[in-house]
Amino acid sequence: MFISLARIIKFSLQDIGRNIWLSLVTIVILVLTLFSVNMLLAVRAISSTAVSTIKQKIDMSIYLKPDAPAERISFLQAKIAEIPYVGEVRFVSKEEALANFTKNYQRDAKISEALRELGGVNPLSPSLVVKPKNLNDFNALIQSLQQTKDPIIEAGDFDNHKEIIDKIDAITKKVSDAGLIVSLLFVVVTLLVIYNTARVAIYTHRNEIAIMRLVGASNWFIRGPFLLSSLIYTLIGMVLLVSIFYVFLNLLQPYLETFFASYNFNIINYFSSNFVLIFGAEFVVAALVNLLAAWWAVGRYTKV
Amino acid sequence: MIKFIHVSKIYPANVQALDDVSFFIKAGEFVSLVGQSGSGKTTLVKLLIGEERATKGQIMIGDWDITKLSQSQAPYLRRQAAVIFQDYKLLTKKTLLENVEFALQVCGQPMKKIKSIAPQVMKIVGLEAKMHRYPSEVSGGEKQRTAIARALVYQPKILLADEPTGNLDSINAKEIIDLLLKINSFGTTVLLVTHNREIVNQLKRRVITLHDGRLVSDQAVGKYMI
Repeated sequence: MFISLARIIKFSLQDIGRNIWLSLVTIVILVLTLFSVNMLLAVRAISSTAVSTIKQKIDMSIYLKPDAPAERISFLQAKIAEIPYVGEVRFVSKEEALANFTKNYQRDAKISEALRELGGVNPLSPSLVVKPKNLNDFNALIQSLQQTKDPIIEAGDFDNHKEIIDKIDAITKKVSDAGLIVSLLFVVVTLLVIYNTARVAIYTHRNEIAIMRLVGASNWFIRGPFLLSSLIYTLIGMVLLVSIFYVFLNLLQPYLETFFASYNFNIINYFSSNFVLIFGAEFVVAALVNLLAAWWAVGRYTKV
Repeated sequence: MIKFIHVSKIYPANVQALDDVSFFIKAGEFVSLVGQSGSGKTTLVKLLIGEERATKGQIMIGDWDITKLSQSQAPYLRRQAAVIFQDYKLLTKKTLLENVEFALQVCGQPMKKIKSIAPQVMKIVGLEAKMHRYPSEVSGGEKQRTAIARALVYQPKILLADEPTGNLDSINAKEIIDLLLKINSFGTTVLLVTHNREIVNQLKRRVITLHDGRLVSDQAVGKYMI
């Protein structure tokens, strides 16, 4: 048993060494394919963070009548806060609204001029600024706010937000769907490439396999070196993949830091915190595909 | 030893290779199986080493019904019923000795035993002086002797020789037949598949003749009839 295992390992290593170019091509193809899959994962993580960032910047304002009494406003604020999708309700007074407006448009000469022409009259209304508890609950929150009726409410700017959120969701869905299709395509390509690589490898060994059968080698002994070679290819491929991919992430991170300036998003941390899940799953799947491909190819070409 | 009981083999597309073949070969016999190309000789060998399955009938080796052979049992059968072919089937990148050692390696024999048995078998077939040469450096007869040595390492009960002299001149062919007779004298059952009239007639041993997949003659001391 131990001798057979040792010889399977020996024959497998010999096979990898004697067919070094074929082995290298197999590993490079594996690395490229899995690199593409990880690229998709990175794009998905970045786009998901980007969408969250945009959504977090969106809040909804309920504009109130300028003469609304303070107790009515407090009552409405409390009523809105009770909606399950609401994370925060903040009252913005007329004065605060004007201060924010002036600050935001201080470089716009026309708006500054228009404000001066009003002669100190504040044209803005007080408002309640509502933020959702969960970014995915935007649409439900908008629906709830639309159903909230109170005489002190002057207007709400929900519809505009709904449109933006729907567009973001639609784009996110399209990106996600496209990612899924591309991922599936990669999986199919990987399967075909690995299967063909195994077939070529076995074709080059057909005489040896025939002789092994002829002299009474067991099926496991014939299959063993090919299965082990597949595992070794996968293992080397994964080590190379992780090394190259982390170099890539380190190059990418400074650009992302600039893009998500006020957000604590780190793509390296994302992959590191999901290391076992991502790379572990990729290793298991790639190894299984490799093993099955080798198993089928040996079975087909040697009739063992 | 070998028992064929109403054996038929039909390949896909309804090609009948063997048709109701029955015979019995005793342990230690030397039997020539003759017939023209396409008469079913090679199919019969393939059935004996578990390479093909009989469509009908039963094939027994000793008490072993090999018509019910499982995939996992096939390697054990091939160690008991060794086979040599016209094209030798040697690994060209290994020396003659390494070819013989390879047969022991793939079956899990310890290296100490391999290093002891392989040179001994090479000596039996008369190749001790050339065992470190590569197949490309020796004659056809020497390649075939290496194939025989490889077949002998497990001391098989049966040696199936499928056209072993097909690629050889008459002198080398005679040497191979002499070697097969020597192996037979040690008690190994030999089934020689050939269409070489001269060899069969000189052997003066049992001859089974196949024609179009049917057994047409079985003579205790036979001659090549077709």
